[in-house]
Amino acid sequence: MASDRRLPVSISLAIPSLATGVVLAALATSAALLRARAERLAPVAVEATFDIPNFPAEVVRPFSFGLRSVISDLMFLQAIQVHGGRKKTMLTAQEGRRDDRALNRLLTYATDLDPHFAGSYRFAGNAMPRQTSDGKATNVLEAEALLAKGARERADDWHIPFTLGFLQSYYLDHFAAAGQNFAAAARLPGAPQYLGLLATRTLTEGGNLDLAEHLAAAMADQATEESAEKEWQERLLDLRMERHLRQIETAAAHYAARTGRRAASLAELVRSGDLAGAPREPHGGRYELAANGEARSTAKARLRIRGRKGTLAALEVQ
Amino acid sequence: MIGALRAQWLIAGNTVRELVRSKLLHNLLLFAVLFIASSMFVAQLTIGQWDRVILDLGLAAIEVSGVLVAVLVGVSLVAGEIERRTVFPTLARPVTRGTFLLGRYLGLCAMLAVSVALMLGVLAAVLHLAGYGLSFSAAIAALLILVELALMAAAAILFGSFTTPILASAFSLSLFLIGHLLSDLKAFQQRSQSDLAKALTGIAYRLLPDLELLNVKSLASNELPVPHGLASTAALYGAGYAATLLVVAVTIFSRRDLK
Repeated sequence: MASDRRLPVSISLAIPSLATGVVLAALATSAALLRARAERLAPVAVEATFDIPNFPAEVVRPFSFGLRSVISDLMFLQAIQVHGGRKKTMLTAQEGRRDDRALNRLLTYATDLDPHFAGSYRFAGNAMPRQTSDGKATNVLEAEALLAKGARERADDWHIPFTLGFLQSYYLDHFAAAGQNFAAAARLPGAPQYLGLLATRTLTEGGNLDLAEHLAAAMADQATEESAEKEWQERLLDLRMERHLRQIETAAAHYAARTGRRAASLAELVRSGDLAGAPREPHGGRYELAANGEARSTAKARLRIRGRKGTLAALEVQ
Repeated sequence: MIGALRAQWLIAGNTVRELVRSKLLHNLLLFAVLFIASSMFVAQLTIGQWDRVILDLGLAAIEVSGVLVAVLVGVSLVAGEIERRTVFPTLARPVTRGTFLLGRYLGLCAMLAVSVALMLGVLAAVLHLAGYGLSFSAAIAALLILVELALMAAAAILFGSFTTPILASAFSLSLFLIGHLLSDLKAFQQRSQSDLAKALTGIAYRLLPDLELLNVKSLASNELPVPHGLASTAALYGAGYAATLLVVAVTIFSRRDLK
């Protein structure tokens, strides 16, 4: 009779297995639920708030064991994801501060790991500066610092000083520095020909005529095509004209300060001795002095950055 | 002399035949090839710089998988054989221990050269598919990785000649890691206030291999030229260091009691 009450072998083996399975499933479910609840309750990990790995680049560089270039790429890719994830609408500097800071820190980190990473500098120059919804510009100074580092580290890449010069002239109104960077870019292999012309114009705007003339003379010497050389010779004449116009304006200012009235003509400045002699206009025209004390040539317009009022140079940079 | 060279050649040939059937080698190579191929998809995440990302990931895959092959396989070729006692039938023949060791090393180096060439070929194909070519700097970088792998193989053979496979692997991988930290060791030596620390780090700096000299991957990925004379000098340095390790390995292995 006792043997009749016994369960079949297959069932007697299945029950413990089933029980074990149920216990395991219950434990796993409990663990998952408890973990989810604990994660909700736990404070945010400090590491999760960092934009970059919680090790300084100086530490990561040696401990990448020769693979720092790959880690630098990962930081660059992360910066691209941050840039791509930005809202398409314009934000104030404060509203977009987190992404701006992340971009700056990621790209700084990438270039600290691999200072020769030209693409990272170029991306920084294009992606970091941002116009804000309240008519200001932000993240410009950070981009300028990164590009200045890039111009030092990658002295062979004309795009970097060019972008740096663009930021300095467009956002910061630093035409002298911008002109120097354009001039540096123009001397590098692969730079387009217009860059030298832009450099001389920007240097003139910034007041550095000596460097502008030096650059134009060097470019004229190096020109391999007749048309290019002619263009540079013409630019040298423009710069000589600009130098004359400035001499006339300085003399006119001295005259006005001394006599208390504006000089009526160039001849009056020469007669009074404020101007050593009437300079010869290099394009074949003549110089005139306007009533407001501004000098001009009848042959050609002065070298200026056109539409300066329309640029962002007057914007407040945060 | 000719007999020893012939024996070395035969052992090297046998080693290559063994390694061609090695599952470990197959798996590591497969991993590296898949990694290099996947770099094309990773490069889709970037704006510009596609060639740099592919090249960086590809050269990293070649180096990492190559070091694992050199160390794990190199250790198993000597220490593993001693542990399994399969070394005795070979040594029972008229073959010196030095010949056995050098034959094993040459066979492993041949396999490493084939592996690097294979992976470089895959990398070149991936670059070609993405519309780029393999630069001269990248080829130099791969060549110097091969020299680094030959050095690591010599280290694995050296450690395998006097210790267990696990310890030999640990020592070899540590040497790889330390070899990439030597410039920092030198900086530590220069800044240290302690004379003892200065002396010890100075000795370590001179004795350990400077593997960063064999690392021009960053130049290749930045499209910068390798400085004139660097590649040949670094390659000769690596080969000389590997030869030194092998001489020490042969000396130790020849005197070791294998019972």
